[in-house]
Amino acid sequence: MAPPPQAQSHCPYCALQCGMSLTPLPDGRSSLPVEVAPRDFPTNKGGLCQKGWTSATLLSAPDRLTTPLLRGEGGELRPATWDEALDVVVAGVTRIQEAHGRDAVAVFGGGGLTNEKAYALGKFARTVLRTANIDYNGRFCMASAAAASNRAFGMDRGLPFPLADLGGADAILLLGSNVAETMPPSVQHLAGARSRGGLVVVDPRRSATVGLTGDAEVRAGVPTGAGPVGDQGVHLQPVPGTDLVVLLALLHVVVTEGLVDEEYVAARTTGFDDVRRSVAAWWPERAETVCGVPAERLRHVARLLAAASPSRGGAGAYLLTGRGVEQSSQGTATVTATINLALALGLPGRAGSGYGAITGQGNGQGGREHGQKADQLPGYRKIDDPAARAHVAAVWGVDPDTIPGPGMPAVKLLRSLGDTGSAARPRGLFVHGSNVVVSAPNADRVVAGLRALDLLVVCDVVPSETALLADVVLPVTQWAEEEGTMTSLEGRVIRRRRAVAAPGEVRSELWILAELARRLGSDVAFPTDAAVVFDELARASAGGVADYSGLSHARLDADEAAGGPGLFWPVPAPAPAPDELSARGERTDSRGADTSHPGTPRPFLDRFATVDGRARTIAVDHVGPSDDVRPDAPIYLVTGRVLQHYQSGAQTHRVSELERIVPDAFVELHPVLGVRLGIDEGERVRLTSRRGHVEAVARWSDRIRPDTVFMPFHWSGAGSVNRVTTDATDPVSGMPEFKVCAVDVRPVGSEEDVSAPGEPQGSRSADSSMEVSV
Amino acid sequence: MNRVVVIGGGMVGARFAQDLVARADAAGATVDLTVLGAEEYEPYNRVLLSEVVAGKVDVAAIALPGPDDARVAVRRGTEVIAIDRDARQVVTGEGTYPYDVVVLATGAAARIPQTPGLTDRPGGLPGGAHALRTLDDAREIVAASVNARHAVVVGAGVLGLEAACGLARRGVAVSIVHPGASLMDRQLDTAAGRVVERSLTGLGVRTWTHVRTEHVRVGRDGRVAGLSLRVPDAGASPARDGDGSPDRTHERIVDVDADLLVLACGTVPEAGLARTAGLTVDRGVVVGADLASPDDPRVYAIGDCAQPPEGGSGLVAQGWDQSRRLAESLAARAAAAGAAGQEPAVDDVEHDHPHVRFGEPDRPSMALRLAMSVVTRPVTDLSAPGAPLAAPGADSSSSGTSSASREALGSPRADRSSGTDVVRVKAAGLEIVTMGVCGTRRASDPAHRTVALSDPVSGRHVEVVVADGLLVGATCVGAPDVGADLTATYTRRTPVPADPAHLLLQPVAQAPAPASTPTHMPDRTTVCTCNGVTKGDIVACWHDDGARSVDDVARATRATTGCGGCKDVVCGLVDWLGKADPEQRTDDRSAVSGATGMPTAV
Repeated sequence: MAPPPQAQSHCPYCALQCGMSLTPLPDGRSSLPVEVAPRDFPTNKGGLCQKGWTSATLLSAPDRLTTPLLRGEGGELRPATWDEALDVVVAGVTRIQEAHGRDAVAVFGGGGLTNEKAYALGKFARTVLRTANIDYNGRFCMASAAAASNRAFGMDRGLPFPLADLGGADAILLLGSNVAETMPPSVQHLAGARSRGGLVVVDPRRSATVGLTGDAEVRAGVPTGAGPVGDQGVHLQPVPGTDLVVLLALLHVVVTEGLVDEEYVAARTTGFDDVRRSVAAWWPERAETVCGVPAERLRHVARLLAAASPSRGGAGAYLLTGRGVEQSSQGTATVTATINLALALGLPGRAGSGYGAITGQGNGQGGREHGQKADQLPGYRKIDDPAARAHVAAVWGVDPDTIPGPGMPAVKLLRSLGDTGSAARPRGLFVHGSNVVVSAPNADRVVAGLRALDLLVVCDVVPSETALLADVVLPVTQWAEEEGTMTSLEGRVIRRRRAVAAPGEVRSELWILAELARRLGSDVAFPTDAAVVFDELARASAGGVADYSGLSHARLDADEAAGGPGLFWPVPAPAPAPDELSARGERTDSRGADTSHPGTPRPFLDRFATVDGRARTIAVDHVGPSDDVRPDAPIYLVTGRVLQHYQSGAQTHRVSELERIVPDAFVELHPVLGVRLGIDEGERVRLTSRRGHVEAVARWSDRIRPDTVFMPFHWSGAGSVNRVTTDATDPVSGMPEFKVCAVDVRPVGSEEDVSAPGEPQGSRSADSSMEVSV
Repeated sequence: MNRVVVIGGGMVGARFAQDLVARADAAGATVDLTVLGAEEYEPYNRVLLSEVVAGKVDVAAIALPGPDDARVAVRRGTEVIAIDRDARQVVTGEGTYPYDVVVLATGAAARIPQTPGLTDRPGGLPGGAHALRTLDDAREIVAASVNARHAVVVGAGVLGLEAACGLARRGVAVSIVHPGASLMDRQLDTAAGRVVERSLTGLGVRTWTHVRTEHVRVGRDGRVAGLSLRVPDAGASPARDGDGSPDRTHERIVDVDADLLVLACGTVPEAGLARTAGLTVDRGVVVGADLASPDDPRVYAIGDCAQPPEGGSGLVAQGWDQSRRLAESLAARAAAAGAAGQEPAVDDVEHDHPHVRFGEPDRPSMALRLAMSVVTRPVTDLSAPGAPLAAPGADSSSSGTSSASREALGSPRADRSSGTDVVRVKAAGLEIVTMGVCGTRRASDPAHRTVALSDPVSGRHVEVVVADGLLVGATCVGAPDVGADLTATYTRRTPVPADPAHLLLQPVAQAPAPASTPTHMPDRTTVCTCNGVTKGDIVACWHDDGARSVDDVARATRATTGCGGCKDVVCGLVDWLGKADPEQRTDDRSAVSGATGMPTAV
């Protein structure tokens, strides 16, 4: 089947899922198979960042995998046929499971997989491998926000409102999120709050997003103690790992100054009295001594948020969290504190206000709903819920008792691989849509674990660092080569459409899973048509929290063609038949099947998804980073992204336009620190933690605290920062503490020189960064 | 070992009960805990009373979490009469409570200076005179402030300053009278104190230092009418003798009117029970590093009533830190006793999980989580010479023996104690924080390097004390951002800059001056961040590709096609290029009209 002349699809990268048109180019007219153009879609409003504009390059990456690869006798990866490769996989799985049990084969999925692939992968693990051990890299990014939202609201939909709603708010509090670099077109939605001076960004760095708050000056109308603030908002620059203290102090001010929306709290929440008391101990001056943000500035921000809240006559306020606060050993507590503050101000479940988590990965939302999480079944169901098991088992055509129980969450799973003393450790691992060698914390330990496996099967598009360690590498389709659905950061279910044929022997994971099921002797059905898989997914999700049962590819296509507003889950199938409805005088639709649920752009307007319909507030408190500074590691390390790269860089390092701008890892440090340590701009610097060390070029910048260094995480090898990050995890969500650890910082080549930091090197420009405001 | 009676249910006593229950759970030990509180109130945050006076905090909002556990019996309004150490029981009016361990958390009372007119009257203080120690005190002061014309605050320690600023905020004329040489002289040296004095003047608070209160004048209605103060003679006021004390030979008496008198003259530990029980009491109940009385290993004291080896600071952070440490050690002992032969579970907890976490079902109490949050820093190599311990009645309630030397403490986390001597004043309009080595009373140490910035006119005074590359003390007045950074540096022991002078200002370089014209903008300047487009790229597409409008530039470079935030700058560049290159200009002015984003070349 020839691809359509132009495919309306979405960007292959982040959860903003910018709308783009893909026009196939005839061979020879261009080195690229398609031309990318932005579309006017509600999240990107016609914009694309450089990653999106250059995404077509991914399709013709020079080292694109086009055949299966097998590890040869000499240890090298060599091309193989599908039959050969799948035989090796089947033999390996059978051997391992016979010797060590079903759980000895594990599966590691990804938040970039389509809903259909994520669903099929979970089903494959539970019905064919029948292993408990499946989890995914979303554990690295969304687990804490998900845990806190589920606990508070009974539902985890990243943004429980359309992104465009942000535009009308008076204030937006962004915690640990650098959207100006991670999803640039989204900052269009911040314009309204900025124009009213209401963008508040909490970040240890003066990031590009902080830059949107405007130039900081001492301003009239702002208490002097609050210090300089921007004309478009305020920057709070806490010590790494203390965002929770900022939130507790903000809530303290809201409570003590009588700014709580008491009517809302009484009507729509439970447990607030405990929370109220718990923040009595966090007066701003005490918070200041822990988080390093001046007390009056905290008060100023609390009042600003309160003034924007509907109960005080404001146009609305949003509190949004990102990975900067969630990737923490107290990530769930930090998100909970954010939700508590939002509830105190009466924001969630009100049009024009709310709390949301800004999902990161392309399908980070859908990826956590369809059953590739260790503790979940499709529809965001709990795997230990008998009713959920029975429902899903019926859709799958299996006995509920054959579905395994909860498995190990991602970090524990990866850690277990190298635990050679344990008989229960997994010996085989499937990796789909994830590059754990670069993206998992304490990466050296991860590599050791992967090397200890008897069988590592990696499905990927390019030879990623993880694929290069595999026994079997299976080449799979990517973005513009496949059909499917994604669920964006706002819970909108959207269509990914095929624009070009996949090269060589590349196959879809849906096909691979079906083949493996067949060869492993399973009689469970694995359709390979994404539309059919979606229909099954929809049935499996029916009645679950994330209910897609009223959706199909056809309905999504029709809605888009008609210029509809989009469909946000839950979208349940109409429960009673249409004639029953009409008999009761309710809404009917002459088109029959279109008597459909309109979707749920704002799910909490009437009630929360908890049993009693009220949001649960839960008192939390600050503990601090698991790996805090100490004499032999006195500097904080924070990690994050740069605009030009995405995650482990498996995609973006293969795009020369991106690679040219940011070719290598770097360490951002304050000139004051550089001078003290004798590290010049451009010099190589080594960071050492309890887990390992990493080297990169120093970049001086006054946009970071002098007690902190920053490093982006997109590189492997010597510059792979996750070799030093900690794999300590949040006790509730299992999410690792990527965002803060303690390091020793020194120039490369001075490992023996422990006592003599360099003398000041004379005067120099303090800010060597490229961004100059004009 | 498991019957624990806590005497005192305030900020530290209630906290300790929660800490112990949570720690015992974690250690797998059982405890039987009774809290005897004299006050009828649930625990509240005493630290915020000055905020209540200031009208910044609602009284209802200062309640703290109480022990909400079935294993804790709380007896409010129960006055303890005695501790019978022989019978190992606590005697109250309602009965006796046998104990294996008794923990004194009785706190401290406000010190009322012996003054004619104030303390020599039957029936206690005259009307209009109040200490500021309890919720009732705060309520009464707030009520009195409504009609007060002139308030006098006696004592210019932290609490005195906070109370004075709070009353001023309510529109009351306020004077502070202080016996010391300068304001907050426990923490601030004279220069810093003078800066604070200027700031107070700006807030409408009159200050008197070197002042002795001769007597309090009381009207016929039994209410305070004013004070007679002995002050240095105006003409001779700068003259002091060698030790900084005023020259008493040039003094005069000044009468000040006052209808509200707030006494912020420090505190006296509530150590009467311990004294009667035959335990060693100095300023407070003397305890060792393990917080136990040297006379009886079953008796402990924490919080303001205690006098540990390093001295009591009067700061709640110290009491909360003691609460955590004592809870840890008692829980470990209870666990060891309960499971004889087994390794005490608490050790595993300590070493494997320095930050103990619990799943939701056995969530630790709020208090434990608060206790663990106290900023800690190692003190093993910190041996700053100690300031003298506060003599009885020496100073304000929140004053501290700021740099008292510390010895290794007896808890498993001894190396992580302290950092609890940061003093941060809460008073709108005053930004004061001190820590570690500060003030005039510190001993000189050749290893200490002191760097200061004094800027009295703008109300700013910053001093840092550095030793061995670390910040060991600081005083920061009128520079909140700097103060916050200094606190972070101090509590975390972050190495200081090569030149400590960098600590005195926000170490942020000036943002590069915005290019006044595109001519002065370097070619490498990024104009469109979303698409990595530099000024040079835009100039090149004008010259090489013939781009003449913003749309042309967007097509050629993708500038403006991400978030659109650079549109004004690109317009400005196109405009500038057009003016610099008039022949090639197109008629398409619409594309650049409204290009006001940047000044163009003239």
